[in-house]
This record gives sequence, structure tokens and C-alpha cells, in this order.
Amino acid sequence: MFYFYNNNTYTKKTVAKMNTQNKERQWILVADDSEMNRLILTDILGDEFEILEAGNGEEAVMMLQKYGTQISLLLLDIVMPKMDGFEVLAMMNRYKWIEQIPVIMISAESAPSYVERAYDLGVTDYISRPFDTLVVHRRVVNTIMLYAKQRRLAGMVADQIYKREKSNSLMINILSHIVEFRNGESGLHVLHINTMTELLLRRLVQKTDRYGLDYADISLISTASALHDIGKIGIAAEILNKPGRLTKEEFEIMKTHSLIGAQMLEKLPDQQEEPLVKVAYQICRWHHERYDGSGYPDGLKGEEIPISAQVVALADVYDALTSERVYKPAYTHEKAMQMILNGECGVFNPLVLECLQDIEDRVGEELKVNSLSRKNRREVSGLAEEMLQHEELSSTERTINQLEQIRAKEQFFLEMSDEIWFEYSNEPPVLSLSTHGARCMGLPEQILDPAKNEQLRAMFGPKWEERIEELILHGTEPVLQMTCPILVGGQNRWYRMILHTNWSAGEPREVIGIVGKLVEVQEEHTDSGSQPDGTEN
Amino acid sequence: MTLKECYSKMGGDYEAVLGRLRSEDRVRRFALKFLDDSSFTTLERSMQEQNYMEAFRAAHTIKGICQNLSFTRLGDSSHELTEALRDGVVHPGYDVDALCGRVREDYQLTSGALMELKES
Repeated sequence: MFYFYNNNTYTKKTVAKMNTQNKERQWILVADDSEMNRLILTDILGDEFEILEAGNGEEAVMMLQKYGTQISLLLLDIVMPKMDGFEVLAMMNRYKWIEQIPVIMISAESAPSYVERAYDLGVTDYISRPFDTLVVHRRVVNTIMLYAKQRRLAGMVADQIYKREKSNSLMINILSHIVEFRNGESGLHVLHINTMTELLLRRLVQKTDRYGLDYADISLISTASALHDIGKIGIAAEILNKPGRLTKEEFEIMKTHSLIGAQMLEKLPDQQEEPLVKVAYQICRWHHERYDGSGYPDGLKGEEIPISAQVVALADVYDALTSERVYKPAYTHEKAMQMILNGECGVFNPLVLECLQDIEDRVGEELKVNSLSRKNRREVSGLAEEMLQHEELSSTERTINQLEQIRAKEQFFLEMSDEIWFEYSNEPPVLSLSTHGARCMGLPEQILDPAKNEQLRAMFGPKWEERIEELILHGTEPVLQMTCPILVGGQNRWYRMILHTNWSAGEPREVIGIVGKLVEVQEEHTDSGSQPDGTEN
Repeated sequence: MTLKECYSKMGGDYEAVLGRLRSEDRVRRFALKFLDDSSFTTLERSMQEQNYMEAFRAAHTIKGICQNLSFTRLGDSSHELTEALRDGVVHPGYDVDALCGRVREDYQLTSGALMELKES
């Protein structure tokens, strides 16, 4: 059997060549334990494609992790040491790579059960050995072309949706500003309600899953919140803009705005099933209902009031209190909170009130910042739009290019740096070391499942392993430092470890990756003779 | 010795391989590469050590290469050995030692023919 070390050097050379000359050529990863097989495939495809080689399944997985969608196709053998082709496919399914990277299985196994299993695991094609070189070549080219076409189409659809979404929210903004303008308000009210609604809902889903809201729902409700007062265009201007208190009769007329808004939406032809219309209807009609049934127009009680309307109602009250109106000055945040919690503005869902208290500190800041930054954002997006018209690249393509640029940059720095850098990603669990770092520590550049790697664990020993884990999992700061001894080349030496932990955005908070650096500090330790307990920060 | 003669000496199918690989030059290059492959040594060693998983993979590799190059005779015997040792277990009903002997015989015949081709 051939050993893959030879081809590892070959791979590096190929990659270097790729980086300098051949940006355009697509990459194919060939995973086969027989060098002869890899050579034949390289011979067939090497003129048109850049070939990356993996001598076993584990190497294949690490290359997929390293190069991602830079790899246009995987040619995969079944029987391989360390990890076989089916295990590679299982990994690709687990991490959803299979959706991005097409796989053609090439195998001497022609048993139907193998073929079936391969297709079940998502391979695009199955080629039996011995193969006809022409067939392999055509199938590879066709698969790559199909996937490229599919990616392009997916990109076009995404761009269209993005554009549509953007003009949608633009229309809503214009509409709600017209209403505000007629009310003699600044337009900030709509922005504030939008921000408050989003903040409240985000907090709410952290506290309960009772309402079954996901991120898309939150965004939809926040957008629709802008329409809560559209019914006011049906109210006479004399009442709407009357300086001073309204008479009882005038107030009764004013109160009809919620029903008017709902009716306007109800009369929209053909759009009743649109989620935005449905949510906007709830908000328009019921944003003056109260939890105890004392609101209007329908006197709904408790959870009869849709959660969208409950949240917008509270946001509306808060903003009305803290803004100046013709009949009242702007109250402070503290005063407004006090009035709301005392029930002076009606009864609200206690859970939603809790959310308001939880986000209390952020509200003032966000509202201030948001009104300014939104304006900036609008300017920026105008600029971006102009750029888009001048550039041929679509935004999706640009994102992909940016990602690839980052990946290439990172690889370059890792190879060039004469420091010990490392990166850990959780999905899949792979530890990558800079070229120099790997040499210093006597470790491979990539380690799959490092928590189970005996060599690595022996370097730290159980006590330090536990302490590091503790620090990472329960630390509150993203950046932390510690000093610990590491067994390198049979000698225990002191190192300072600087770590930056990345957490997932949603709840529950999970570690998704760690980047870090090791610096040898043996001398400091021999000088001071200290026995640090490990933590420094 | 011509490539065609070499194939007939080892019990291979020259027409078939030329049909699939589509160039005599390519067939010759890869056929001669077979001499560098160490799978047979691995097979003999792992059989001695009774490491049947490694033996299975080595036999499987030989079989794969033979299929690629239409080395029919060695391909057949290594195929049988692969089945006898599938997943690293000696399956009942197979005389593994005899099968291994046949693979050895066919391997020597094949590599002998290839050596002659290389030197001619």
C-alpha cells in the first residue's frame, strides 16, 4: 500500500500553485487509499481541475473542514482506513456539507446494498470500478456544472427576495410616516415602537416558548408594528390634532381608529392570507386592548389578545409616555416605568411587563441610538445600492467571495506566522494549529475530535484539562488568559494561553469556536519561582 | 515485448483496458506503476501476523487496481480473497491459505510480465 505522506507534499504544492496562478480553476477532492486510483483520476481530470488528495476518510473530512465550498466536488472511495466512505458521508450529512458539495462515489463494490446506502446518504452519482475514463470525466463535469448552475440560481432567488423584502419595508415606512405626519408627530414614534417591539419579543422568547415565536415571527411583528395607527387617517384632523384634552365624544371618535385600521386591512383584495396582513390586522385592531378586558374595541381579555398586539400595546404606551404630546410633556424613563407598573395605563400581561423590566436598561439607549443610526443605515444602504448597479457581482456572490478571501487570508497567516496560533471549531470538532505551532508542539496541523486525542490530553494532564474546560465553559469574558505547564518533547514548560471564545447568538448560549495563541513563558517562571494557580484575569 | 503481449502473458484483457482508459500511453504508464505498489508485501505480512483487517484492505486495493487495469487473472484471485476476508473476518467455507497462494502465484506472473515490459 502506498503512504499518503508523498502525496501530502504534492497536495501542498498544488495548493500553492492554485493560490498564485489558478484562481479560476475548480477544485476536486479525491479521497481514496490507493495511490494508483488517485493517480488515474488525477490523470483524467488534472488538466481541467485542481486535484486535492486524501489518503483516508479522516484526511478527507479535515480537508472539507479546511477548504469548505472551495471544493467543487468530492470523489469518494468506500473501503478506506481510519474512516470509510460511508462514515465520511455521515459526517457530511451531520454538518450539512452534503448540501453544498456534490459527491460521486467510485467503488469496486457493486453490491446493491452499498449503492443504495450511498444514494440514501446523498451522493449524486455512483460509479463502479472498473470505470471508463470518458464516463468519469463527463459525469464529473456535468455534476460540477449542475451545482454551479444551482448555486447561481439560488443566489438569484436570494437576491430577489432580499430586494423585495427591502422595498416592502420601505413601503411600510412610507405609509406609516404619512400617518405620523398627519398626526403631527416626528416619525420617530414608528421607529421607537419597532425597536421596542423587537426588544420585548426577543426577551419574551428567552423566557417562554408558550407563544411559539421564531426569529422570522419577531421580525414580522416588528415590521407590522409600524402599521398600528394607520386607522388614524380615518379620523378628522380637528380631533386628531386638537391641542388640549379631547371631550368624551371626541375621545369616542378617536377610539374608532383601531377598528378603522383593521377594516382597511380587511378590505385589501386577495391579500388576506399574507402573514404580514394577518399580523398587522391583529395589531391594528387590538393594540388598545388590556389584559383585564378593560380595553377597546372588543374588550378581549388575557391571552384572547394576540401576543403581537399585547407587545405593541405596551411599546405604544411606553413611547407615548416618554414623548412630548400637544397635551403633555415628555416623562422621564423612570416616571414612565413607574406609571406603567402601577397600572396607571391599564393592565398588561405580567410576563410582558417582566420583559420590559428586564430590558429596561437597554431601552433608553437603543431608542436614542436607533433613531440616529437608522438614518445612517439608510444612507449606507443607498450607497450600497448605487454600488450594486455599477458592479457585476450579485450580493450573494460577493458574500461568498468575501468568505473565501477570509479563508485564504487566514490560511496564509497561519502558514506564515512564527507564533503558536490555534483555532478550535465545534462543528465538527477540529483543532487547527499554525504551521509553526504544530512544529513546536510536535502535533499535526489538524486534529479531529481533540477532546479524545490521547497525545493532546497527555500534554496537559487531567488537572489542567479540567481547569481549561471550566474556564471556557463558565467564563463570562470572551477573552481570557491563563498560564499552565504543557508537556512538549518530554519536558514540562510554562506557557501563557490567550483565548478568545465565540458563543452562539441565540439561547442557550453555546461555545461555537475558540481562537488562541500560546506564548512560552518558561523564563518568567524560573525567575520568579512562582506557582501560579492558573488564572490571571 | 509489446504492451499487448505483456497483457496476454499475465492473463489480462488488453482490449478492455484500452477501451476504458482510451490511450495506450496511459495504460502503459499505470500498468508499470503497479510495480511500485506495496500492497502485496502488506498482504503477505498481515496474513503472517493474522491481521485480517489489514489483509482485507490490502487484497481489496490489489483487486481495485487490477480492475482498473484489467489485470483479469490477478483481479479474480484477489477478488476471491477479498470476499473470504471481508471486514477483517475469515469467513467459513474459504481456504484462505490456498486463496492466498493463488494470489501470490498470479502476482508473480503479473509482475514478471510487467518487469519484462519495463526492460524491453
